[in-house]
Amino acid sequence: MQSVHETANNNQMGLPSEYLTFTLGNEEYGIDILKVQEIRGYDTVTHIANAPEFIKGVINLRGVIVPIVDMRIKFKVGEPTYHEFTVVIIMNVLDRVIGMVVDGVSDVVALAPEQIRPTPEMGAALDTHYITGLGTVNDQMLILVDIEKLMSSEEMQIIDHSN
Amino acid sequence: MNRPEQQNSSIDLNQFNQVFFEECAEHLAEMEQILISLADAAPDSEQLNAIFRAAHSIKGGAGIFGFQDMTVVTHVLESLLDQIRNNEIPFTTAMIDLFLEAGDVIAMQLAGHRDGCEVRQEAIDQIRTRLRQVIDGEMTTAPVAVDITAAANSACLHADGGPRFYELLFTPAPDIFKRGVRLENLFSELEDLGELTATAQPTISAGLDENLDPEICTTCWKLTLVTTASEADLRDIFEFVADENQLKVRQIVSPQAAPIQAAAPGSAPPSPADSTQNAPCGTALIQAQLGRRAYDKNELAPGAYGRRGGEGEATIRVGVAKVDQLINQVGELVITQLMVAQTAASLDPVLYENLHRSLLQLERTTRDLQQSVMSIRLVPISIVFSRFPRMVRELAAKLGKQVELKTIGDSTELDKGLIEKITDPLTHLVRNCMDHALETPDTRIAAGKDASGTITLRASQIGGRIVIDVIDDGAGLNRAKILCKAAERGIPASDSMSDEEVWQLIFAPGFSTAEAVTDISGRGVGMDVVLRNVQSIGGRVQIISEQGKGTRVTVSLPLTLAILDGLSVAVGSEKFIIPLNSITESLQPLADSLKSVNGKRVIHVRGEYIPIVPLHELFHLKTSVTEPEKGILVLVDVDGEKAAVLVDTLLDEHQVVIKSIETNYRKVAGTAGATILGDGRVALILDVASLLEMRKSSAFAQ
Repeated sequence: MQSVHETANNNQMGLPSEYLTFTLGNEEYGIDILKVQEIRGYDTVTHIANAPEFIKGVINLRGVIVPIVDMRIKFKVGEPTYHEFTVVIIMNVLDRVIGMVVDGVSDVVALAPEQIRPTPEMGAALDTHYITGLGTVNDQMLILVDIEKLMSSEEMQIIDHSN
Repeated sequence: MNRPEQQNSSIDLNQFNQVFFEECAEHLAEMEQILISLADAAPDSEQLNAIFRAAHSIKGGAGIFGFQDMTVVTHVLESLLDQIRNNEIPFTTAMIDLFLEAGDVIAMQLAGHRDGCEVRQEAIDQIRTRLRQVIDGEMTTAPVAVDITAAANSACLHADGGPRFYELLFTPAPDIFKRGVRLENLFSELEDLGELTATAQPTISAGLDENLDPEICTTCWKLTLVTTASEADLRDIFEFVADENQLKVRQIVSPQAAPIQAAAPGSAPPSPADSTQNAPCGTALIQAQLGRRAYDKNELAPGAYGRRGGEGEATIRVGVAKVDQLINQVGELVITQLMVAQTAASLDPVLYENLHRSLLQLERTTRDLQQSVMSIRLVPISIVFSRFPRMVRELAAKLGKQVELKTIGDSTELDKGLIEKITDPLTHLVRNCMDHALETPDTRIAAGKDASGTITLRASQIGGRIVIDVIDDGAGLNRAKILCKAAERGIPASDSMSDEEVWQLIFAPGFSTAEAVTDISGRGVGMDVVLRNVQSIGGRVQIISEQGKGTRVTVSLPLTLAILDGLSVAVGSEKFIIPLNSITESLQPLADSLKSVNGKRVIHVRGEYIPIVPLHELFHLKTSVTEPEKGILVLVDVDGEKAAVLVDTLLDEHQVVIKSIETNYRKVAGTAGATILGDGRVALILDVASLLEMRKSSAFAQ
């Protein structure tokens, strides 16, 4: 929770926050860098019985069982192919470690609050509900995602909502 | 960037508080356990000291950590205990209940600080006033009479061959060291006879100077000894060491003084040492010794350095997180060792003989290490059992029933995590026994039973599971009543159900057959919670009951949450682990032993028809083996329910470290967690019971 406050604080104080940018299909997304634990290649996953298709399964990350979500399948963008260049972003969200398969990781960018615009109602692959704003970097639009909110949502089916 | 640091420091403080909370809870539990074990008898000095120590430690800790309100009650309690200890106030049985209540109030304050629970100030004030009253002598005088008889008795005992007090003045010859006499051996021999105090006095009047010869003895010793030995025995010890004039022995108390003093009204039972208090001479030393705090006494004993007396084994308090980390790391080590072993297996055993031998050694050592580390988390179940005597005692009084509680297998060890989670369900079960199962003394006598009912708690390890039985000799479950109630509550049931199935009905939410809802039980929130809690830790509940004779509820739990013996099997490209303790056998079915019932396939094994559970169907896996005769059937047995799980092949037998999937994901139906195989891949561990559930619900769905 600390990092959330820090980001919020930086924004309030007018300091730039850093985002990790990645591509999904033709769109460029950004998530809070403080949520990212590491980036690694795609490894063999163990299939989880009766899980939704976009949950590829679980991997062994140095002794920790980590679920892998393929965002390309979830949001029906890009080609869900797996090869040596397939990238998994390992994130620390909601006290959990979750891996996310994306088309590619591009950069880390710093965005000052004035560079971030509110989200208009539009048809991004992601529901605008999870989008905190739009940034502009080198004339390219960056969709900023509240990854914590997205991963905890019911539609991701990562967290048990029945309890 | 100061923020994180600040946060850290506040977290640190909380950690210290946490230590205090834990310690305080332990002290309270210890106090309660001693009080209960007294069973209305007066405590001996050891027990009294232990209670005092607990109260004192709580007070001290509360003061240090700034919980001033907690010191208020503990302070009064401590003063009272101190006065009892010093025999200024006689102990009465009413105090046991008072102390228990005081303990509750402190526990309430503790919960207030720790969990933010409500703290009732009036309860605090009330208990304080009552403790004060006792100190101020407003207790009834009746119990004193009892104490006097006890005192007289002990005094009589004392007169016949009880310990005697000797004062020895030992002035060794100056050349004693040169003769090779070791005084410490001498003193330890005396110590074997009884309680010894030694005071050294220099015999040279001049101050120490450079001419002092360390080999010349210039000291005399004044020794006091409490012992049953005779004067001759003492002189024997000094036989080769001291002449007549170098050792003076004096017995300093006439035993007859004791009964007179003890019979004085209002005085508490004296310990032998007490009887010397009025003796004419030579008692100053002994009195001074009595005045010391009792818990200081063992501080000088060997091995007691820096510790308080009365603490048995040396223990280290370590955070659970650290232990878990250790377990995880050892788990990793085991996996790495497996990986190395797999790689080495492809090497020529003749060329690499040394390597293979070392690897075997490594395997053994890692296994041992793993076992040792796992055992750190194991704690005896007596931790849970010890809380029941008090509950039973209080409930029995409230319900007007006579109940005897027996515990068997207190030393059975199980995982600390399990201990925490099994406490509530067991409490529910014992409460249920007290309220529903056991009858009042009149009813019991009318039924030809002993007026006093018995609840037995029995823990044992059977195979890979811990089995805890809660047995009562009460009325037993009433089949007709349960069926009737089930119908009333809209729970599906029929008369044709077997007894076992009927008993299972009481686990339905909202089910209770108690006629009146009491504050003990009867709201029907009990048994379903019990079942859910037990199931959440991989346990099962079974009921056996006979009308009029009693009920036995059996809770069976996995030995530990962290490790498991399993058989790895393959289905398609996936590997699974089946817990070995649920497997009875594996077989390759013959075509003519396979039958079909209602379109469902069963296998005929030794006169039994066992349903086949195809794993690939349940888990929707792609595999070439879809027919039982092409694959392997693993026969499993969960609490009497049998099934044959169809897999492609059997792979290997492993001891696997259970990893939670739920830490980072959600619960996966049919699995009990995951593990990491020798090749570093993850394999799911099957939960056979939940697999069978899945099969049933999927059968219903079709």
